[in-house]
Amino acid sequence: MSTIWTKRSFVIVGLLVALTLIATACAAPEPTKAPEPTKPPAAQPTQPPAATKAPEPTKAPEPTKPPAPTATPRPKVLNIVSGTDIENLMMHRVTSSPSFTVLQHIYETLFQITPDGKIEPLLAEEFKATGPTEYTVKLRKGVKFTDGTPFNAAAAKANFDWVLKVENKAAYRSLVDTVTDVKAPAEDTIVLTTKEPFSPIQIHLTHGGIAMVSPALLAKGEDALAAGAIGTGPYKLKEWKKGEAVTLEKNNDYWGAKAIIDTVVFKMVKEDGARLVAVESGDADVAVRVPPAEMARLKTNKDLDVNVTDSLRTIYIFFNVEKKPFDDKRVRQAVNFCVDKKAIVDKLFLGAARASDAPIVPAVFGYAQQKAYDRDVAKAQALLKDAGIAAGTKVVLHHPTGRYVQDALVADAVRSQLKDCGLDVELKTLEWAQYVPAVRAERATNTTQFAMLGWGTVTGDADYGLYSLFHKANHPKGSPPVGFNGSFYDNAKVNELLEKGRTETDLKKRAELYAEAQKLMWDDAPWLFLYSEVQVTAIRKNVTGLVVHPQERLITFKADKK
Amino acid sequence: MTINALELTRTQKIMFSTQVLRKALRRFTRHRPAMVGLSIVCLFVIAGIFAHALAPYDPDKADFALARQGPSAAHWLGNDELGRDMLSRLIFGARLSLLVGLIPVSIGLFIGVPLGLLAGYFGGGLDMFVMRLIDIMLAFPGILLAIMVSAFLGPGLFNLMISVGVVSIPVYTRLARGSTLAVKEEQFVEAARSIGSSHLRMLRLHILPNIIAPLVIQSSLQVAAAILSAAALGFLGLGVPPNVTEWGTMLQKGRTYIFSAIHIVMFPGFAIMFVVLGLNLLGDGLRDLLDPRMSR
Repeated sequence: MSTIWTKRSFVIVGLLVALTLIATACAAPEPTKAPEPTKPPAAQPTQPPAATKAPEPTKAPEPTKPPAPTATPRPKVLNIVSGTDIENLMMHRVTSSPSFTVLQHIYETLFQITPDGKIEPLLAEEFKATGPTEYTVKLRKGVKFTDGTPFNAAAAKANFDWVLKVENKAAYRSLVDTVTDVKAPAEDTIVLTTKEPFSPIQIHLTHGGIAMVSPALLAKGEDALAAGAIGTGPYKLKEWKKGEAVTLEKNNDYWGAKAIIDTVVFKMVKEDGARLVAVESGDADVAVRVPPAEMARLKTNKDLDVNVTDSLRTIYIFFNVEKKPFDDKRVRQAVNFCVDKKAIVDKLFLGAARASDAPIVPAVFGYAQQKAYDRDVAKAQALLKDAGIAAGTKVVLHHPTGRYVQDALVADAVRSQLKDCGLDVELKTLEWAQYVPAVRAERATNTTQFAMLGWGTVTGDADYGLYSLFHKANHPKGSPPVGFNGSFYDNAKVNELLEKGRTETDLKKRAELYAEAQKLMWDDAPWLFLYSEVQVTAIRKNVTGLVVHPQERLITFKADKK
Repeated sequence: MTINALELTRTQKIMFSTQVLRKALRRFTRHRPAMVGLSIVCLFVIAGIFAHALAPYDPDKADFALARQGPSAAHWLGNDELGRDMLSRLIFGARLSLLVGLIPVSIGLFIGVPLGLLAGYFGGGLDMFVMRLIDIMLAFPGILLAIMVSAFLGPGLFNLMISVGVVSIPVYTRLARGSTLAVKEEQFVEAARSIGSSHLRMLRLHILPNIIAPLVIQSSLQVAAAILSAAALGFLGLGVPPNVTEWGTMLQKGRTYIFSAIHIVMFPGFAIMFVVLGLNLLGDGLRDLLDPRMSR
């Protein structure tokens, strides 16, 4: 057995040598140093923290409005290679952006946020606060679900009722949990009543977790919801092959401008390299999550456009502020001073990220720029010394791998930099499904010292980005844990400001409340503030009108393929 | 007690063995592939032992500004994804990768050989039991078994060595059993039994020395296989922790940059390839040397 193996291994080894030599020869003329990315970290830190500041518009060209040429003999198919499969088909239960990307082709929300950050009506026509705790939504008329059920006030109420019912375990129930009553006084009107004034309510209605599902499907129960998808959107579900691909087909009865592409296929290809090969060879039209190191090379490919769009996702490492040694503010600040976010962004991401200067990104309402913790090893060491932390103190950093762009690499970079300041970091990683419950475990079972996570503030509003992560009401509880404040951060003043932010209706005053809260958080440093992601998408040149949304969604409604 | 006339005297024994050894050594030095293999292996062993003196840089010192830089005068083999010196990492990695090769083989030897020896010698129910157990282990492809053991024990250097070692047990058990079955029937074993040697004495003095040749050869090949298995496990993320420099892990981390900075995967790949090549050549040489049929 072994001799056969040996001989075969000789052959394999020989082939390998030949292959690597050829590969080196081919790769040689390529510049190893990547040129500057087209767009430097998009949001300019010099800009004032203005309200509803929009992110840079995506590079996708302005779509042509009228539906494309009349004579299209062959059906148009758009192949998108994505890194992650959808979690399931239940719109009210999924939590990840890859799932929302696919399902928001089928399901629509009452309102939507445009790529430049404006709130627009979608299935609704109008939003009005008709009392201090009463909000009236006028619905669009003449809309039908793909099963023929009309979309009206009763349908909308059925959806709210489903989401609000605790037993249904809607993932984003918390977005609307202040709603105490939903009425349907007319065919096209619903009235939401809340416990107390709730300013972000209209923004929260843009969240995919509160999208409108056919009431007929809702009535059929969980199994039916898991097996199919019936919405009002420009596409309908054709097929979902678990772990392989989701195929969508154009909804010819769509109420708005009909889609141009007939079939959209989201194919799951986990390997970064394999996705690139697919889009370069033309097997796929679009590849998501291009590794930053490959950007420069792809830009030289004349068949490809490299789309660089900001994301609302912030990547951070949170400290458990109740566990040694990070229960001391000085230690947390020392870590912030020690890690060079700028170098990580410039050298490891080649500019395809933006060093954080607040817990949320500039495109989010309420963002207030803070003074960056620039790298200062001497200061970090002094702070650690002050706090009585001996050089060589061992700490454990948990990090995911393959979930965010270069997550494991960044964890390793952080480890290497903290070594310069005298902290000996041990890296630990877990499978994503076990990772989140482990690092955000409830107080009694939590052993995390510090851990890496990301948060996409997809509503574009500070309430979702700050209240969920920093208010004491969101300390993780139960198993599996509910609550996203894994730091167990609890600052009375911050809690108060965040609560006020929820009920304050004056936008200017709201922004001021959030600015003050962020200032306190920044100083308390319950996080190692890292960077916000930038989405790098490779799109073949013959595809036009594709929108890469800062919410980490790809939108094909107006896309065309030549 | 009885004096065995057939047994050689102590001096005769020594003379015989030095003679055999000298002859064997001469044959070995003339065996060119084996010598090439030996020098390659020695080169890496020396690199591993004197890593501190040989490595031009601290293998864990990252300079993000140099991330993914190709070979240069200052960094002969370029820098990795965090800007660490590749050459220094490979030199330090040699230490660990060789350990990862040798320790699992020792585990396989120390568990597998006694099992095979006992099964072959006593036969019967014990043989049946041991061999069915081994058959179960062999039913799984080696790498799958290693993944299973790794997944069970969790990632880590020590667990990696155990899992790769466990996978090599069946190979040694079968080899030892087969050889024992053959040797057991030889006349000198019968003779020893007839003069009333104990089982322990029989196994220790008569059987084991006579089956050692195939085991030595197998081990030299198995070291190479273990390095490859460890690299495969490292590649799958079940290998050593990230702060430990090891070739398989380097290869795994570097694969993202295969298009833009190929040197990050290429050099660890070459290192593994050369060590495996060296060990295989050495193993083939040893086989030629120890196999009586090849001695002409």
